[in-house]
Amino acid sequence: MTMDNAIVTTDLVKRYGARRALDGLSLAVPRFAVLGLIGPNGAGKTTWMMSVAGFLHTAAGSIDLLGCGPFDSSVHRGRITILPQDSELPLESRPIELLTHYGLLQGLTRQEASQSAQAMLTEVHLGDRLNAPIRSLSHGMRKRVMIAQCFLGYPEVVLLDEPLSGLDPREVAHMRSFLTRRRGRQTLVISSHNLHDIEVMCDHVAFIENGRTVRIATMEEIVGTASTLVYGLTSLPEDLAALAEIVPDTVLTCKAETVELVCRYNPRESSAEAINARLIPALLTQCGVLTVSQGSNLETEYLHGQALEPLLR
Amino acid sequence: MSGLKQMWRVACYEWFDALRSRRALVVLLLYMTAAVCNMYWSINLLHKLESELVTMLQLPPSEHTGVISTTLWKSKPFQRIMQQMAQNDLVLQDITGKHPVELIYAWFAFFYTPLLVVLVAGSRISEDLGSGAVRYVVFRISRSSWALGKFVGQALMIGFALVLSGIGAYAVAKYRLAGSGTPDLFLNMVQWSVRAWIFSFPYLGLAMGLSLLTKSASKATVMGIVAITVCFVITILLRHFTADTGWRSYLPYLGVLVPEDHKMYMWRNSLAPLVTGTVYLITLGFCYLLAGYAFFRRRDV
Repeated sequence: MTMDNAIVTTDLVKRYGARRALDGLSLAVPRFAVLGLIGPNGAGKTTWMMSVAGFLHTAAGSIDLLGCGPFDSSVHRGRITILPQDSELPLESRPIELLTHYGLLQGLTRQEASQSAQAMLTEVHLGDRLNAPIRSLSHGMRKRVMIAQCFLGYPEVVLLDEPLSGLDPREVAHMRSFLTRRRGRQTLVISSHNLHDIEVMCDHVAFIENGRTVRIATMEEIVGTASTLVYGLTSLPEDLAALAEIVPDTVLTCKAETVELVCRYNPRESSAEAINARLIPALLTQCGVLTVSQGSNLETEYLHGQALEPLLR
Repeated sequence: MSGLKQMWRVACYEWFDALRSRRALVVLLLYMTAAVCNMYWSINLLHKLESELVTMLQLPPSEHTGVISTTLWKSKPFQRIMQQMAQNDLVLQDITGKHPVELIYAWFAFFYTPLLVVLVAGSRISEDLGSGAVRYVVFRISRSSWALGKFVGQALMIGFALVLSGIGAYAVAKYRLAGSGTPDLFLNMVQWSVRAWIFSFPYLGLAMGLSLLTKSASKATVMGIVAITVCFVITILLRHFTADTGWRSYLPYLGVLVPEDHKMYMWRNSLAPLVTGTVYLITLGFCYLLAGYAFFRRRDV
């Protein structure tokens, strides 16, 4: 493992009876990246996270966490935290005392633990429920306490399994913003089925299917914000070849199902403004232009299989 | 932070958290009520028996309940009967002359402590395993510190419950038996609570060791109850099947693994058997816990 990667897992295998939840999964998470894990139900995302955190014992493969081998509480305590899926907090506890207790366990002093717990609970908008029993909190509030415990004491790696599910829209927006601010400061791995959330928060994406990594790439590579222009049209252009002659240094593709023209270009050789200046007038002679946007989106790329193309080739 | 310090933090939080657990509080209150009621009814029974004896033997009536019983304790024929019942001369020698109230409470504490342990602590670990609460801890500390911390926390909880019930029983004795509320009796009652607490260790280890095997709280409780029943049955079988010759002469060695076999040490007065019994019982408790932990350390959480 190089110091550029916070987590490296190689050929991980985890079996539940005859079924392989992880079937040789290899994944390297760059240090300070915010990586989104995407995949269908049962793909192995949660199993991978639980294996990295030391909850599960794998049958084969290796895990290297922060360059210190597999999870070992004496080495990684306080350096890695996790928001596990479907895990309840002790119901009789109070958020402030529980988080202070967790802070103490991960090696903070009492003062640091108390301050960190208070700050994180305030961050997740639970400053007025510090001493309410967990039992009395709503599902969304409990989820916020669970998220807060992940960021006690500023850990180097945070694994978040479905962090935004169950939160109300305002809290989702707030948590998205909070997690986005972590980019470049902490290594975050976020598993979510909400591709919009992943697109907003993450700078890297890993696609997992059937216990294997299908592709890992930067978000830029997937959605191509700096190298793709998408034109929403009233109808598909009749003469695509004529348009291609106007912008010869680009690749034009029509999407019939969404009535869009996708223009891929090399940002080193051309700019969005220059292409628009040449292409839009020509397009308007053939059809109406409704929208122009930079890049595709993760959902489109994932659902229409283009994100998985490198594997298929 | 050393593993021991981590373990102690878990233990303190566990104790604190257990005191807020509704189920633990209900069991604790029931146990205290049972201890108090047992004392109340036993004193009533004692009073009635003494009244009968006074009438039958035409003795001068005494002012305080227990005076005649204490006199009776000192009579040789009665001691012979008790010797046969206790099956242990040394124990009989040590308990002779003790206040009947102490003995009533001690019998109650020793008899019901295993059940108290299983009902209060038997499911604490499996509850955390089942709900997933353990996952918020085991990436912060080692599994061994967590399991040991839970054990020590529950031991503190049981000790607290026993001392409280001892004080409750003393209060009843003081109220019902005029002239019995002496500081000596109070200290002796607390001492019996501490002895019962030490006796609870192997059962605590057994209950929590079993709790490490399952994620189901109810299954853990049932397993605990079955385990203490098996312990009692083994003790009875060992007593009745032991012979002086052949393979049955080795059966008493098997008794070393059963808590009941060390209970008699806790009834003794002198320090040597008390220390021996304490070491045996606590070691046995940790061994049971360790057996459960050996499975837990390899399991997925």
